[in-house]
Order: sequence, then C-alpha cells, then structure tokens
Amino acid sequence: MRIQRNVARWLVVLGVLHAIVACAGFFAPYDPAEQDRKSPYLPPMRLHVVDGQGQFHARPFVYAFRLREGTFDQYEEDAGQSYPLTFFVSGAGYRLLGFLPCRLHLFGAEDSRVYLLGTDGYGRDQWSRLLFGGQVSLLAGLLGAGITLSLGLSMGAAAGYYGGWRDDLLMRVAELFLALPWLYLLFGVRAFLPLAVRPLAAFFLIVAVIGAAGWARPARLVRAVVLSAKERDFVRAARGFGATDAYVLRRHILPEAGSVLLTQAAILVPQYVLAEMTLSFLGLGVPEPVASWGNLLSSLQQYSVLVSYWWMYLPALAMVPFFLGYLGLASSLQERGPAYKIERRGLGSLT
Amino acid sequence: MMRYFLRRLAHAFLLIFGVSILAFLFTTLAPGNYFDEMRLNPQIAPETVAALRAQYQLDRPLPERYASWVNSLIHGEMGFSFAYNSPVAPLLLARARNTLLLTVTATVLAWGIALPLGVWSAERLGRFPDRMITWGTAALLVIPDLALALGLLVLAVRTGWFPTGGMASVDFENFSFLHKLQDLGLHTVLPILALVLSALPLLVRHVRAAVAEVLGAPFLLAAQGHGISGRTLLYRYALPAAANPLISLLGFSIGALLSGSLLIEVVMSWPGLGPFLLEAILARDLYVVIGGVLFSTIFLVAGNFLADVLLYWADPRIRTESGSR
Amino acid sequence: MQLLIKAENLVKRYARRNRGGAQEELRALDGVSFEVFAGTTLAVVGESGSGKSTLALCLACLEEATSGSIWFGGKDICKIAEKERREIRPQIQLIFQDPANSLNPRWEAIGILTEPLILQGRISREEMKERAYSLLERVGLSAEIAERLPGELSGGQRQRLAIARALALEPKVLVLDEALSALDCSVQAQIANVLLELQSALGMTCVFITHDLGMAAHLADEIVVMGGGRIVEQGRVEEVLREPREQITRRLVAAVPRLARAPMAPIGR
Repeated sequence: MRIQRNVARWLVVLGVLHAIVACAGFFAPYDPAEQDRKSPYLPPMRLHVVDGQGQFHARPFVYAFRLREGTFDQYEEDAGQSYPLTFFVSGAGYRLLGFLPCRLHLFGAEDSRVYLLGTDGYGRDQWSRLLFGGQVSLLAGLLGAGITLSLGLSMGAAAGYYGGWRDDLLMRVAELFLALPWLYLLFGVRAFLPLAVRPLAAFFLIVAVIGAAGWARPARLVRAVVLSAKERDFVRAARGFGATDAYVLRRHILPEAGSVLLTQAAILVPQYVLAEMTLSFLGLGVPEPVASWGNLLSSLQQYSVLVSYWWMYLPALAMVPFFLGYLGLASSLQERGPAYKIERRGLGSLT
Repeated sequence: MMRYFLRRLAHAFLLIFGVSILAFLFTTLAPGNYFDEMRLNPQIAPETVAALRAQYQLDRPLPERYASWVNSLIHGEMGFSFAYNSPVAPLLLARARNTLLLTVTATVLAWGIALPLGVWSAERLGRFPDRMITWGTAALLVIPDLALALGLLVLAVRTGWFPTGGMASVDFENFSFLHKLQDLGLHTVLPILALVLSALPLLVRHVRAAVAEVLGAPFLLAAQGHGISGRTLLYRYALPAAANPLISLLGFSIGALLSGSLLIEVVMSWPGLGPFLLEAILARDLYVVIGGVLFSTIFLVAGNFLADVLLYWADPRIRTESGSR
Repeated sequence: MQLLIKAENLVKRYARRNRGGAQEELRALDGVSFEVFAGTTLAVVGESGSGKSTLALCLACLEEATSGSIWFGGKDICKIAEKERREIRPQIQLIFQDPANSLNPRWEAIGILTEPLILQGRISREEMKERAYSLLERVGLSAEIAERLPGELSGGQRQRLAIARALALEPKVLVLDEALSALDCSVQAQIANVLLELQSALGMTCVFITHDLGMAAHLADEIVVMGGGRIVEQGRVEEVLREPREQITRRLVAAVPRLARAPMAPIGR
C-alpha cells in the first residue's frame, strides 16, 4: 500500500503522541492513585534554570511551596528550598504497556515531589493522572471506533453487494439508528445500570454502546463505495476470469472501502474520545479512582474549584494535540478523496 | 408534488414511531427503576413501594405500558414524572423553550457568520485570506466542546464580565423590564458564544467546500463568458448550485436544535432540556427520559424533513425525477 | 470453417421506471441471431443504445439473456449453471471500452496481468511472471511497464494492457466492446494494428463491437448492423458497405469521414 507523504507525516505525529500515552508509567513520575493529603490543590510548579542569585543551573529545578501568610490554600514559591530534577529515576512500580513490570521513570526530584500540573483535592499529581487518564480515554476512542467500523463495514458491504431486501432492510434500520438521539440513550443505558458498577465493566459498557451506536453512517458510506465499485469494469473483468463473489469482494471492492474507513476512523476516534470525556465528566463514565480525561475535569463543576484552582482546567486541553493530529490525518486522507462528507463532531455526531 | 410531501411525512412519522418503541424498550428493559432508591431506604415499608409501583403501572407488561403511554401522548401528557409528580409534557416544554432560546439564536448567528465567511473564503481559494480562515477553523476544531465551555466559564470567573452560569440573577424578580432583558442577555452570552464557536468551524468549512466546488465548474465559466459577472454571477448562478449540500447541513442544524446543547447547558447551569434530562436519567424518572428522547427525535426528523422539502423546492432535478412518478 | 458461436433469438429485457412513472420494459436485445466462425472477425455496428454492449456482456457470459440461446463449445451458455459458466468465461474474453475503468487503478500492471492466471491457478509463480512479460511483448509494451500503475500509462498503453490481460488465458474468442472508442485517432490506428497482428498471428476469433464503420471495415470479415435491439442487416463487410440496404446502415456509412472511404485496405491475411 502506497501511503502518501502527508498521510505518513500525520501518522508519525499521532504515533508519537499515542506512544507517550501508552508508556504513561515512564513519562509520569508518580502513581496516579497516590495521594498526598498534605498538599491538596497545589498549583503547577515552575521549572527554573536560573536561581535567585542569577546563577544558571544545567539541571532544571523546582522550588518547594509554602503557604502564603493569612491564606489556607494560596501557595507561593519558597526560594530557599530548591530541588533539582533527576532523570531516569527509579520510582513507583508500574506495568509498561500493561504487562512489563518496571520501575523506571523519566524524571523525578530528590527529596521532594515535582508537580508539573499541580495536584487535585486529594493531592494526586495531575500530570501523572493526565497521562494515565489518556490511556483510558484514548483506548475508549480507539476501541469504540474499531467496533463501529467493523459493524459498519460488514453491514455496508453486505447491503451494497447483495442488494435486494437485505439492502432495503439495512437502510431502514440505519435510518432508525441515525434518528435516535444516542447521547440520551447512552446516558440512559449507563445510568439505569446498578449504581455500583466496577470501573472496568463501566468502561467496556460505554465503549460497546458508543461503538455500536455509530455504525449507521460508516455503513452508508461503505455501501455507497461498494455499490459503485460493483459496477466497475475491472470487477466484470475479474468475473470474466472466473472469479467468485468472495474473491471480487476481497480483492477489488473492499480495498476501495478501505480508504473510506480510514478517513472515518480519523474522524470517529476523536469524536468517541470526546464522548467518553463528556460521559466521565458528567459522572456517567469511568468512575473514580480510575483517571480519565473526563473525570479529571469533573471537579470543575464546583464553583470554588473553578474560581481558585485554574490548573484543574488544563486536562481539557490535553486532547488538543491529538485532535490536531487526527484532523490533519483526516484532511490529508481526504485530499484525493470525495469532497466533504457531512460530519458533525462532538456530541452531535451521536445524535 | 403533494405525493412527495405526503410520502416524506408518512416516512417521518414512521421513524418517530419506531424510535419511540426503541426508546421505550431500552429504558424499560434496563434494570433498575425510580423506586429502587426508595426500596433501599429502610424507613419506607415495602408495601408502600409496591403500592406506588402499582399505582404507576410499573408492574404491567410492556405492551400495555406502551399502549397507555401512547394514550397519554394523544392527550398531550406524554406520561407522568415520578420526581415532579406531574405530567411530563409541560415540564419538557418549559425546559425546551429555554434551550431553544439559546440554540436558535446560536444557529442563526453561526449561519449568519459562516455563509458570508465561507463564500468569501471560497472566492479567494488558496490565497492568504482563505488560508487564514482554514487555519482559524482548524484551531477552533481541535478544541473540544468541553474545553471550550469550561474555558469560557473560567474566563467569566476570572474577569467577572459575565455571570458564571444560570439563566437569571438572584433578584431577577425585582428588576425592571429593561433590566430583566439586560440580565437575560448577559446570561445568554457565554452559552451562545460556546455554541457558536463549536458549530462555526465545520459550517464555514462546508460552505467553503460547497461554494468552491461550484466556482470551479465549467458552467460558471460559460456564464462569465456571456458577460455575467460580480454579484449576479455569485448570487444567481453560483450559490443556487451550491445549495444542495448546504440545505442538508441546514437540516442537520435544525435537527440538533434540542439535542446539540446538552453539554454546554450542563456546564453553564442553563436550565434547559439537557440538565433536566440528565437529572431525570440519574433519578431514573422513566417517562421524562422517554419523553425527552422522543422530543429530540422529533426535532431531528423534522429537521431532515424540512431539508427534504427545501431540497425539493430548490432543486429542479428532484422535482422532475419524482414529480413524474 | 468451423462454427464457433451461434446466437439464436437472443432477448434481453430490463425492467425500469421511466419518467412517466410506469413500470416499463426495456428491450435491449429483441431477437438477435448470428453466427461467428473460427478465425474470423465479426463486426457488430450500430448507434448508441442499439443493444451492442448488452450483446457483448451476454456473449462473455457476464449477463444472462432473458431468453434465446448462445451455442458455444457444444453447450447453450445461456442455460448452464453458474459453476459451469465460471469455467466457460475464460474462453470468451471481453475487452472494455474504457481502460481507465477496466483496470484496477490501485494495481500494478504485473498484478493486473497475472490476475487471470492466479484465478485459474494452474501454473507456478515464475511461469506466471514469464507469461506476463511475454504478453507485454506481444502487445508491443516494454517490460518496464510491469511496475507501473494504470494511472501512469497513456490511453493507448492502457488498452494494450487490457488486451494483454485478455489474452492471458488464451481465450478462443475476443469480444471488443467499443475498445477503440475512448482513444485518440492516431492511437486507435496503433491499437487496430495490434489487433490485426493478433488476428494473423494467433488466428484469433473476434467480435468487434463499434459504431465506427471505418474501423469495422478495416478489421472485420463479416458485419452485423444493429438497431433498436434487432439485427437489421448482415453479410460480408465489403458487400454491406458497398450497397447498404437499410436506413441505419446508410446513415452509418455516411458518417464515415470521406478519407477513409477511399479504397478500403484489404484485411491483412
């Protein structure tokens, strides 16, 4: 398969971003569930290379925080105590890529904790939670997109290739699915479940429902591709050489669908990640203490947090480089493809 | 022509009917109901719970419940809310009105900006202004709705320029009429801004794509060759040809009037349909949920129907294909 | 001469909704009968919509006729089962009008050429490649074409590739459905020469479908004129062209540019 250069570039960018999240344990200094009750709502620590005396240090360092006089939650830097960063430290154990036990972390600080993005109400390091939360959210997006595209491919190909009553039935059902306000049903299905659902079960349930809900649009696109590919003369020619239906589908028709599917994937994954974020934000998704980009933001629903602890907003922007990557990928894939398909991103796409 | 109408209308009704059945199935088949909470409460006798359940017909078989729900639908009630102890329809309508206040304004604004911007961009395709617009829309596109809404809220908090949520200030009742209007207006600014900013980039891109495709078409070149130029060329030749995909898009926009603002309403505490439904879902207020789902579906289907009708009116090709049937 | 194909009363009907709204029946072929003898070329000419392409598809076993028979190799290929049909198809190969459409744009030439061989699965990979290169040579394409995509080739090269592919399974009959119509004039002449060469070197039996009488005269022995799904005139090509009897034929003859109507080149034998 010849990949265009632009497409390859975006794939590399996405690959790097995903790899960082996949190796969250390495890039995060601490365990995401580790609480530091003495330091709730610490603001992000700034990295310095020049100290109070104007001296340059090759190794960046951070200052400890101390409470500002007269407040109970306002911190300021204590220039007297500086802690240099150390790299490739051994710290809390984790499983690299889910199975390799490991203790190596990219950075840490001796005798102190370095909070790049501050801490939350329980004193948990937001940077670590961001990375681990990304694993959950991105996985939800990728798995969901996988389910949707598999369903869409099989249904659309069957409808387009065999036609007849199969096609009619499928299109009617697809229309029904497209008319359902899936977001509400999603909420409903999730909320109507027993209150105490384990995080893992909740996760898979959300993924399954999000994934199953969105099959209609890709199915229609695949069907259109299959319908037009079916009539191409090279398909007729292959028949002329004695090809069977299965061969024609496999070798000529489905590869045409492949490019549509890839473009759809680039559009769906960010939509689904966003859906998971929304659900978790509203408390209907992945529950605490497991981190996801959505529930990292849920504390912002409290006014006090919104006012005083601005860094709790930062995880909302975590998605931006990924969105950028997927947008770039989708654009470069569509460069030679058919003109814009009408797509709605975010929640609207589920309705 | 009437036949086309009627067919699409019948189609729409069937769709709504189908959705209502599915919604009913989904929500009633899911385990758990409103009274589970009560059951857990040791102070309430199980007989009371059972009596309540019987009163609300939660014991009856599914088809029967569906039938009586449809019956209440015909009477304009749409079932009964357990939490609010009142028919569902008036509750939904009141909330829907608030939602529509936001979404209609936002949709009109978004289209009002996207159309000229998209056309302007398409006319200068590939050149600097167009590239700026592409980058601008890209920048907006990569910010998730959630981040946008929350970000605006943080902005409101830090600057104090806008109220941080809600629909009315605390002593709204005591305001003069003008003051009330101003207060309402201020409260709507952030949600509308969030809605517009999230809808704008895709709209602009689609308008731009549709118009750009037409601007490159040979028939337009031929018209120019006849001496037609400028405004006439754009408005009477180019835009009508670009209308098709845009009308479908309009159908989508209309369809999403009720459902598209859920997140923003929740984040900004706007008392619309979204938060109301969320609350109902969490409380398992069955008929409110079903009613809300149905309401949104009606809008969705209506939006598509409207788009079909508009397309029929705007595109002669569809008329000749089907009018002769 | 040996009778290779005999078509008897071929009828092909399509059901369609016309603009008036009623269900209408389209008779693409309305009782067509003709014979094709081994080693000869039959030209099927007619205006657009006269049913020529439908005939091509039926001959190649890619469409089923509504009624009538096509006798080939002792069987009526209209009536046999799909499995048998799949075995017959390689023997009657179809070359389509637009090579941009008949060659998969994502496949390299070598893949396109070896596809029929792989499908029939009887020889080894090395033999397949050898066969592919010799096919390229036969149609006058250089070996380096093998790595290219159809999009990188010119119209004439593509059509040659299509012809080469059709020859891969050594068919008994080649059906060319307007195979030259999509090409530039000068390229048409080149491809026509390739066809002539094939006719003489391999003794190929061809059915040449076209609306271009000049080409038909250049390449064919017998001619059949179609109109409205029926055969209106048939016979040896020189006779029919010298003395066209039907209106349709006259119109087609008149449409041939004057230059070509000067002494017809005899069919190179």
